[in-house]
This record gives sequence, C-alpha cells and structure tokens, in this order.
Amino acid sequence: MTSQRADCGNLELRSQSCEQNLLSRPDGSATYCQGDTSVIVAVYGPAEVKQSKEFLDKATLEVIFKPKVGIPGCSEKFQERLIRNTCETIVLTALHPRSSINIIIQVMHNAGSLLSCCVNSTCMALLDAGLPMSCLVAAVTCSLSCDGDIILDPTSQQEKEAKAILTFVFESRDNEIITSNTHGIYSIKQYYSCVEACRKYGFVSCQSPLGTTNTVEQ
Amino acid sequence: MAADFKTAQPVEYYRQFLKKDVRPDGRELGEIRSTIVNIGSISTAEGSALVKLGNTTVICGIKAELCTPTNDEPKKGFVVPNVDLPPLCSPRFRPGPPSEQAQVVSQFIADVLKDSKMVNHEDLCIAEGKIVWVLYCDMMCLDYDGNVIDACIISLLAALRNVALPSIEVDEETAKPKLTSSTSSTMTVQSLPVSTSFAIFDNSILIADPTNEEENLATGVVTVVTNECGELCALHKPGGSSLSESQIQECVKRSFSRGDEIRKLLDETFNSLDR
Amino acid sequence: MPLDSKRIPGPRESFPVTNFISTEKDNPDLVNDDGTRHDGRKPNDIRPIFLRCGIISNAKGSAYIETKDTKVTCAVYGPRQVVRREDFKLTGTLTCDFKFATFSCQKRQQHMQSSNEKDLSLIVLQAMEPAVCLEKYPRAQIDIFITVLQNGGSALSAAITCASAALAAAGIEMYDVVVGCSTRQIGNTCLVDPAYDEEYNSKTGGKNNGSLCLGLMPSLNQVSAFIECGELETEILMQSIHSCVDGCMRIYPVVRQCLTKSIKSLQKHQDGT
Repeated sequence: MTSQRADCGNLELRSQSCEQNLLSRPDGSATYCQGDTSVIVAVYGPAEVKQSKEFLDKATLEVIFKPKVGIPGCSEKFQERLIRNTCETIVLTALHPRSSINIIIQVMHNAGSLLSCCVNSTCMALLDAGLPMSCLVAAVTCSLSCDGDIILDPTSQQEKEAKAILTFVFESRDNEIITSNTHGIYSIKQYYSCVEACRKYGFVSCQSPLGTTNTVEQ
Repeated sequence: MAADFKTAQPVEYYRQFLKKDVRPDGRELGEIRSTIVNIGSISTAEGSALVKLGNTTVICGIKAELCTPTNDEPKKGFVVPNVDLPPLCSPRFRPGPPSEQAQVVSQFIADVLKDSKMVNHEDLCIAEGKIVWVLYCDMMCLDYDGNVIDACIISLLAALRNVALPSIEVDEETAKPKLTSSTSSTMTVQSLPVSTSFAIFDNSILIADPTNEEENLATGVVTVVTNECGELCALHKPGGSSLSESQIQECVKRSFSRGDEIRKLLDETFNSLDR
Repeated sequence: MPLDSKRIPGPRESFPVTNFISTEKDNPDLVNDDGTRHDGRKPNDIRPIFLRCGIISNAKGSAYIETKDTKVTCAVYGPRQVVRREDFKLTGTLTCDFKFATFSCQKRQQHMQSSNEKDLSLIVLQAMEPAVCLEKYPRAQIDIFITVLQNGGSALSAAITCASAALAAAGIEMYDVVVGCSTRQIGNTCLVDPAYDEEYNSKTGGKNNGSLCLGLMPSLNQVSAFIECGELETEILMQSIHSCVDGCMRIYPVVRQCLTKSIKSLQKHQDGT
C-alpha cells in the first residue's frame, strides 16, 4: 500500500510505502519506505534462548541494527537500545517467558528520518510475525530550521541544515510519547510545537498500518 | 524483616514508601543526591575531575595529544569522549570489551558534546591543515549506583574547564611542533550543559536521580539536558512507559533548576581553586 | 592499531606532546648533594600514606590508597559463582585484573589491557594467593580489580597493599595481609618508595642499578612476592631487600589501623540497624 501526498509541503510527510511478509525464512518481515529512506526488518521468534540471556518471567528481546555500509559502532548500539526499549514497551513479552525474540534491522538507504523509518518498519514486522502487542507505535521525525520552521519527515539535506532534529514515537492507545530522541539545541516551546506537529501524523500513521495488513492478507 | 520484604517483593516495598511521597533512602521524589565535585586531582592528566553523586562516582581525565586534522576540516581539532564502566564499579559488569551500557552512554555523551557545542573545535587548532589537538576525555566509573549519565556529564564539564594546554607552535624550518612558552593556557568551554535523569515508577510516578535499584525497578527513564541559556540540548526517553505533556513539563522544569545548581556549584569550586 | 568499534573513534593516529618536546630535567641526579631526594625525603623515607577501606558501595570489599602522587583503587567481588563450569576447582579461584587508567601516566594508556598490565596482574595475584585461605572457598571465585588512577611511582607496591586491604575488608579469610614496598637501587644508594622520576629514571649508577618490589606478610614474617629487575650484586641485593622489609614494616601499622577502623564502622552500622 502506498499513501501518496500530492503536496510535499513542510508539514506533510513524504510518500510512504510498506510491504509485509516479503522474506520467507523469518517469522515476520516488513520493509518501510519514507521517501527515499528505506529499511527492511526481519523478526524471529518466539524461539529458543541462550541460557545466559534467559529471563524467567519474560521473553528476551534483541535488536540488531545493520548499517548500509561499514561495521556497526557505538551509534548503532545506541539505536539498537532505543528501538529495543521501545519494542519492550509494546510487545507483551510476559506471554512468552524463557524465549527469545530477535529483530534484525537492515538499512537499505538513508535519505533522512532514518530512526522513525526503523521504528515504523519494526512495528510492521512485529505485526507480521503475529507477536502479541499491547498497542502499535508510529514514529515521526521533524527538524527545526535555523529560523524555527518545523519540517516534518526531513530529507538528509534538510537534516544537515537543521538546527535541531527531533524524533518521537507515539503509541496508538492514548497517542502519548513513549520515545523521544533529539539532536541540537531548541527551546521548550519549540519542543512542544514539534510534538504537536508530529503527533498529528503519528495518529494517522497508527491507523493506516492496520489497513495495510488487511490488504496484504486479503 | 524489612530486608526480607525488600528482597522478596522489591516493587511492593518501593510502593509502600512512594505512597507516603518518600523513597527508601529518605529522599523526596524530586530530591537529588548530594553532589561533590573535586577538580584537578590527577596531575598526569591535562584536565581532570571527580564527581560523586551519592554513591555513584565518576572520574574524568583528559589527555591531550597532537594529530593531523582531516582534509575536510583542516582547522578543527578532536574531542573524543569515552565512558568506561569497568568491572571494578559494579558486580554486573564483567572484564572484556565495553558493555552495551558503556557504549550507549558513550554515544549519548558524544551526542550531547556535539549538539550543545561545548567546545569550539577550532580552538584546538595549532597550525591549519597540519597539526591540531585531540582531547581524549575518558570517564571512568568507580562506583555504579545509578544515574551514571548525569555524573559523567558533570565530570566531563568540570574536567574540560580544567584543561590546561601547553602553548605549541610549528617550527617553520623543521615543520615540527615546539613549545613556545612554559605557561599553559586554559580552554574556553562555550556552553555548559547539565543533564538530569528521572525514572518512571509504576508507569506514573516520576523520581529524580534514580539509584541503581530504582533504575532496575523503573518502567522507564528520561534524561533532560539543559544549557545555561534556558534551552534544551537533549530530551532523551528511550521507550518505557508513556509520559503526558505535564509530566514532561515537570521534568524540564526540574532540570532547569538543577542545571543552575550544578553550574553554581562548579563556579564555586573553580573560584576556590583560583584562590 | 585496529579500529575499536565499541568505543567512540578518534583520529587515526595521534602523538603525545612529549614526543616533540623534551620534558627531561637538566639535572638527572636523583640524590642532591646534601643527601636528600628531589621531594626532600631522605633515601629510606617513605611517602605519607592515606589508606581507606569501603569506598565502593557495590563491592564486597574495596580500598583506596594514596601516597602523594600515586593513587590506586581496588575492588573485591566474591566469593561468587565460577563463570565457566570447566573452571570448577575444589579450592577457590582468585583472579586479578590490573589496569592503568588511560590518563594515569605521562603517556596516554590504551583502553585495552597491555602485556605489561597483564604481567602486573599476575604479580599481584601471586602475591595475594599465599595469603588467602583459598581452601575455605571451594568452587568459588574471588575477583580483585585494581585501577591505577595516577601513577606517581611505586604503583605496583601500592596495588599490593591496596588489594590485600580490600580482600580483608571484604571479609575474605586470610592468613595475613600483604604489604608491598619497592626500592630503587642506584650504585650504593637505595631509594625506598621511589617517586615516578626515580622509578623510571634511566640513569645508570655504575655497576649496581636495579629496582625491587617486595610483598611481605608482616605477622608471619614471610615474603609472598619478590620482583627484581636490573643488575645487583648479592650483597647490595640483600641490603635492598632489608630496606624493603623495613619499609613494609612501616606501612603495616597504617594498614592495620585502616582495617580496624573499617571493622569498627561496620559494627557501628550493624548496631544501628
């Protein structure tokens, strides 16, 4: 399914598309594109877990973040932790104790707003894997230009010129923030206006993925 | 009896305290542990600072070395922050390469350093395109009792302000660096970011400056970094239970006041050193 | 150097300032004309010692030692479960990890443990093993972690003293504590507890030039560690050893006092709750 927006103004997202169940080996997979940014995610699980990583009361969730080129370093670990914590919040890990859920994120192309694309893609892949979740998530990135204008879903060029880049992850139940990650300097007022601008689209995105699953299944 | 209850039912144990708006260590919910800063205690380092936040202890030592700049940015020096969580500081860390926790904290500190523009990298230039300073800022945790990010950022800030670099020039004939005078110059730190971390307990209660125990029981954490101009440098919330706008507002407000307290504490410490 | 992907990367190569600028003093003589050393000590004086136990809240036992410019901290964990099953032994296992902090020396140290640090780990381990009643801890592991925060000379002997204080503070059963002391021999002069410039000075004093580090169990009056490098005549070596033992005996009361104090405060704490 592709949602195309005619006007690509600053307060609009780039065209988005998603495809699920495109890999045969994993239990769930999805690719998500936001403009030219594209990410592919595979989910394995619930499966057997190594004894050293086992939890008695919940599943062990692991995220592996693979950059497009080069070997993963600290910043990839940072993203992994961020996405893992986000997933742990929504996946009902308590239903699968002493098992493992592995999420592998492969960046295909980064043309800005990578983090939000990763989170969206992961959510779709988890959905495809049929893992029980308490709610869905939607991530939106926005950037603040030097004059304080908000640009939603910025391209890498826009990110480079920006004063600050903010990424939020909203949950679908109450549309509250569960993850917030920011770069750059901004005022508290700007923070709230960014939250509001992103929340509007977070809500839309949260609804539309459901539609996507249905189309695929049909 | 209390100790048994705590071991068997840690969450319930905390709830009993939090009901009365107090924490097991006697603090109020928004109260931060006493902070001690000791500056310049390591004379082999160009800059150093030891920070104690309750039991959590972090020492930051900065070693300066010379290197050639990149071709893209011939005037810019380097600042390399790394956090070390050695097995010495807590039984949860094992010897070997840096743990995931250490890598994540290192990256966060590196982001804060870059985003807040603490150091003007061009100040570290000795000869354009030829030689620049590289500051290796190593933060080592000596005692891990939660909230290591806040302690690391304070120690980094204090150590950077303590840095004294020898004055060096490039000899035109030999093209090698030489010492121009024996006096060393201090570095200007452009912005003074301070972070404040909170833990979310039972999806709703916010507690400031969590201990290790509190971090383990928490359903989420938030770290807010503010600078001296009343701006935010980072609002980092990696997953965990959701927060309403008013709760975020509360965190930001608390971190602004905390930022001012720490900057005052550092100023006082530096003044007492000068005398 | 291979790229370390688990740390924030810096520039590919960098050089310490001392590579280009000589910081060596013009007067490399270690003993002044009036018989005193650079810091005003007499040859067989030791530096004042500050030793405290229980500084790391998470550790079973810990100690911090400061002798002027040398600062060493040590933590002891255990007895705890052996990580690998193959390592099961009927007596306990003692491990030791010795590390110089990156900023502790004149030249920046690497994050990874160097071969020198591995050697020092082994020396401290072997100094501790005779003193610990390992047969009381079957199938268990006791870990000693030592970090040198600043190396102002005699870091190894400070580490030995610090480690045994931390072991004792952890309540590990021991036959005796181990007290470390080093000397630097140049010619006929024997400098006890050498400072950094004395320990690493390359000046040769004719025939006899060497350094010595000794770990002594004072109440048993036995030596548990003894490392000597350089060239010394037998007689001079004996003198040097005696100076070391003498130095250890002077450090011993400090260790004893520190341990008594930590036990007392522990008792007070237990009575309070």
